[in-house]
Amino acid sequence: MTLYDKLFSFLGLSDWCKSENKAIISLKDLSAQAAGKEASGPFFPIPSLDNLNESCSRVIKSRDVTNGIEEGFLAAKPVLKTVLDPITQPLSWMLDGALWVFESTPWFIMVPILVAISWYASHSRSVSIFVAISIMLLAFVDHYDETMQTLSIVFVCTTISVVFGVPIGIAMSNSDRLQRSLLPLLDLLQTLPTFVYLIPLIFLFSVTESKLYGIAIILYAIVPVIRLTDLGIRLVDYEFIEAANAFGMNDRQKLTRVKLPLALPNIMAGVNQTIMMSLAMVVIASLVSAPGLGVNVLRGIRNLELGVGIIAGIGIVLLAVILDRVSKAALKRIDKTRPKD
Amino acid sequence: MTQTMVSLRGIYKIFGPNDKELLHHVQNGMGKEELMEKYKHILALNNINIDIEAEKITVVMGLSGSGKSTLIRHLNRLIEPTEGEICLLGEDLTVLSEVDIRKTRQEMMSMVFQKFALLPHETVLKNVGMPLSVRGMAEDDCDKEASKWIDRVGLIGYENSYPWQLSGGMQQRVGVARALTANTPIMLMDEAFSALDPLIRTDIQDLLLELQKELQKTIIFITHDLDEALKLADYLVILKDGYVVQQGEPQHILMNPNDPYIEDFVSDINRARVLRVRSIMTPLGDGKLPLDAHGEVDVNDTLESMIEQSGGDTSHTYVVKDGGKTVGTLDMNELVRALVPRVASETTTRQS
Repeated sequence: MTLYDKLFSFLGLSDWCKSENKAIISLKDLSAQAAGKEASGPFFPIPSLDNLNESCSRVIKSRDVTNGIEEGFLAAKPVLKTVLDPITQPLSWMLDGALWVFESTPWFIMVPILVAISWYASHSRSVSIFVAISIMLLAFVDHYDETMQTLSIVFVCTTISVVFGVPIGIAMSNSDRLQRSLLPLLDLLQTLPTFVYLIPLIFLFSVTESKLYGIAIILYAIVPVIRLTDLGIRLVDYEFIEAANAFGMNDRQKLTRVKLPLALPNIMAGVNQTIMMSLAMVVIASLVSAPGLGVNVLRGIRNLELGVGIIAGIGIVLLAVILDRVSKAALKRIDKTRPKD
Repeated sequence: MTQTMVSLRGIYKIFGPNDKELLHHVQNGMGKEELMEKYKHILALNNINIDIEAEKITVVMGLSGSGKSTLIRHLNRLIEPTEGEICLLGEDLTVLSEVDIRKTRQEMMSMVFQKFALLPHETVLKNVGMPLSVRGMAEDDCDKEASKWIDRVGLIGYENSYPWQLSGGMQQRVGVARALTANTPIMLMDEAFSALDPLIRTDIQDLLLELQKELQKTIIFITHDLDEALKLADYLVILKDGYVVQQGEPQHILMNPNDPYIEDFVSDINRARVLRVRSIMTPLGDGKLPLDAHGEVDVNDTLESMIEQSGGDTSHTYVVKDGGKTVGTLDMNELVRALVPRVASETTTRQS
């Protein structure tokens, strides 16, 4: 007899509470019955659903809440699937296509191309040499294929994040209301534990589809580029906007000639962060069949194969350093507003 | 006969969310402090009426917080007035649509900013050509026109530099060149030279006067520096706390300040250098010329040059000529009297 029994009878709800199904459910009740006495807990337990249920069987149990979420999700699944499946299908094609290109290009063509890209982006000899050495080092320990797989996923996901993130950031910088409503969502995406992303996605799509991990990576990695585009544009000094207005620029001219160029350092910092975050997510996405170095990390954990895990881990670090250096050197090169050292 | 280019009619500007509702308080005589205290709104401009003459330099002078920068931004509607009319050649700008005002800004008025506001990612050439490229002119034509004005402000050879590679004085020359490239009849200059050091400022003031002699633009120039105002102004407007204290020809204001605030202002300047013969001469009334005149002087000579000419002898008198025509006489005693401010401001206003 707890306090809540008295509470319900005091509120005159005793009759309502006595529901017809008086089936015994909990193990505690069963053992109490076996012992021949009613279960008795503390006089004033914490007011949780389970505790209230003991006093009034009409109150649902916490297990029903989680069940409810699951059922609700399952009920919505057919609708969501018919809408989201066709929209996201191109993502699968892009991921598979990029994977095919990166894997089927012979290494003696691929490596020079990558070095050439880093030279073009950074115009820095040391960065290009570092890229060549790192990739050859990974190839030397037979991780070339995994490296290319990871690189192809990062490439596709970063590209899509930028293509969608920059316009969203621009729209946010134009409208305070949009910014207010999107910021909590971005906070949520950034703080949600990375594994939790995967749960609803597994329900929606089959694990064999590559868009499953693609969506998870993009959702996680798109946040910095949106945030920093918005911030970068808002940080553009008002004197420049005023000058643009004074010479009669229209909105499009203001965006392309003043706001975006002046916000570019911040936007590029966002792109850099997006690359880093998609690389981090690639490892976790290997849980849902994303190929690449992450698979080896996972194998290292699952089978306690220490060496395999560590080599793959170092591979990811090398990739991260490559991508970071190349994108930062590229940013420094295109930023003409400051003197170069 | 000069023509009025822009006329401001009863401009009020109150900063704050309820500016329209509070307007009648101001019109009924509520001051800046009271409005701030009671309603937390800022009174920036209070019943401004100015006629800006075409092809002349109109200088608006006031201390910081007097509303001068707000005023100049009303002319191209970077700031919307709470009440009042801004007429450009008889057309009210306040009723123009977004598209029309953009066209007016492109074709009628260009602006020079205190902090230059040059685009840091574009070269000098592209910055100067910006007003034309905004209008959709072909790039080659923009570059050609821009080079012409870069040459004119003395920056030849710097076309492909970026603004950060130039000194402050050079950057503002780029700013002036940009405004000139726009080829608009009106130029708005918002404390354009205030950020420059004194020698460079004198240089660029001279450049502006030289260009003005040739180009005859309608220039509205904002400054807090009285020496600069007197050097440039054809017409001077003095602003204080959002209202016009006095406006008129600079010489006239100097000789007849109508407010202790202005007396205070003008007491600090070198009157001999600023005042000109025409302000203190005795106009030719009955046609009689003094027989003992020591020589002829021009109406636009400064008093400084007169003192030099007379060798400091106060007994001299001179005949004043305006382009060959005799217009009056100048007694050196008058000149010496004019050098002393009408009211010794130290003893009156500064104590209050």
